[in-house]
Amino acid sequence: MIRKKILLLGDFSVGKTSLVKRYVDGAFDDKYLTTIGVKISKKLVEIDGVKCELLIWDVEGSTPSKKISLGYYRGASGAIFVTDITRKETLDNLQEHKDVFLSENPDAHYVTAYNKADMLSEIDRDSIVLEDDVFLTSAKDNKNVEELFIELVKKMIR
Amino acid sequence: MKNIQIIFNAVLSKNIIEYILIDKNFTVVSSSEDVHKYLENKLNVGDDILFVLPEFVGAEDNIRKIFSEPKLSYVVESVYKNNYYVNMSVEYYDEKIALILLHNITDTTLSQQKLLQYSNESILLNTTLQKILNSQNALLFVTNKDEITYVNEQFMEYFSVKKVSELKSKDLKLYTYLDSGLKDYDALFERVNSKEEYVIIDDDTFILQASCIESTHRLFTLTKVTKLTKDMQIDSLTGVYKKSYFNSHLERLIKKKKEGVLVVLDIDDFKKVNDTYGHQVGDKILKEFATLIQNNVRGDDLFARWGGEEFLLLLENTNIENAMIKVEQLRRLVDTRTFKNVGHMTASFGLAKKEESDDVHSLLFCADKALYEAKDAGKNRIKFKKI
Repeated sequence: MIRKKILLLGDFSVGKTSLVKRYVDGAFDDKYLTTIGVKISKKLVEIDGVKCELLIWDVEGSTPSKKISLGYYRGASGAIFVTDITRKETLDNLQEHKDVFLSENPDAHYVTAYNKADMLSEIDRDSIVLEDDVFLTSAKDNKNVEELFIELVKKMIR
Repeated sequence: MKNIQIIFNAVLSKNIIEYILIDKNFTVVSSSEDVHKYLENKLNVGDDILFVLPEFVGAEDNIRKIFSEPKLSYVVESVYKNNYYVNMSVEYYDEKIALILLHNITDTTLSQQKLLQYSNESILLNTTLQKILNSQNALLFVTNKDEITYVNEQFMEYFSVKKVSELKSKDLKLYTYLDSGLKDYDALFERVNSKEEYVIIDDDTFILQASCIESTHRLFTLTKVTKLTKDMQIDSLTGVYKKSYFNSHLERLIKKKKEGVLVVLDIDDFKKVNDTYGHQVGDKILKEFATLIQNNVRGDDLFARWGGEEFLLLLENTNIENAMIKVEQLRRLVDTRTFKNVGHMTASFGLAKKEESDDVHSLLFCADKALYEAKDAGKNRIKFKKI
């Protein structure tokens, strides 16, 4: 069995913890509680006959005054960049998160989640054009959460 | 060495630091008694530290180096484990052993979390308020010292500015749009407070309202009603503007001291059409005539129905020579057209040039007089009248 460290990265209150909670525990909590530091969860997956234990680092979100500690990035094989589709500034900051992560882990893989899709109207949802490796997710409605993590695992073990 | 041991024991007894010793194979050699409180499972000598503390997966190379370089260490801060927050660090112990320290920082981290939660919620609230403000009409906040302190996105978009300071450099003063006699926002507030005023900015019509926010700030709200007012000003029979809208536009032209020519148009012998073919055909001729003229003037020329078979045309930024050329084209268009049911029709045109001292009434009077001269001279012709 292989073990892979992956990080969830993005601005504060984009739903990183909720995505992990949905994926690992199958649950969702509407209450917003700021993550501080990091919490590591484990999840065993098997893809194409390959068993992989994911060590999912739910890292505190960056704020205008506090950036993410670089110590968390060390040795990561992959990352999920999370944005809140209803907050434009979290999309604007996406590239900065990617740049910092890839400068620490140039060979790592990543996918991107445009989260909180449940807060969009059906028309808005349909009008969003998604690039490769970008998923419109909702931890609340359990939309594309499994697909998001599985796509990252596939990229890491390929 | 003995002193260090005493100090270390004293620290351990405070229950804030636990330790694990590992060998070069990352196998647990020993640990402090209470370290298990941070772990999922009971810790045994011989356990693989990467399974005990998965936080170190991916950092194997960094940890390996510590065995040979005493100055190195590997730190993971603020890790949430079993309801505790701990700082974890791997330190050099000797060439064969590394020391893992788990420092309980739960109390301070929870305090920090409260502050962070408060701060993040404040930012989210601010973002939400900003969204609400931006979803409203154009808003402008002014202090009682006549300083603009805030404008929302709608306002900036309308006036093509990106920040408040640009308003100053553009010398944009909202009050001058309502009345060039107003000198500041105080005067505007006195004028608009507790009522609504229509204000025309470029080609748009707004309702301007003012209210007092505390004693220090005034809020001005601009609600765009251009489409609504234009719809109300359209003549239902011909589809062109009504005289009331034309008049207000003409008034603005006069205030702005812009060059322009006013034309009064009248369909010749229109009464005969009504008498011979009936009013239904008459109405169709009015519509056909209005459409013909409307389709052959510039987009920024203003064409309206005065009443009956009389129409008004305002040619902005045009001198009298060019206006005569344009109106002659229109006259020919009418003269050469075969109107439905009726056939040949003609129209007469009276022109007046806007002068500095003109008001709406004198200009209309002058153009109307020119029209009558055209009629008296035999119809189907153009006359220009100077005041």
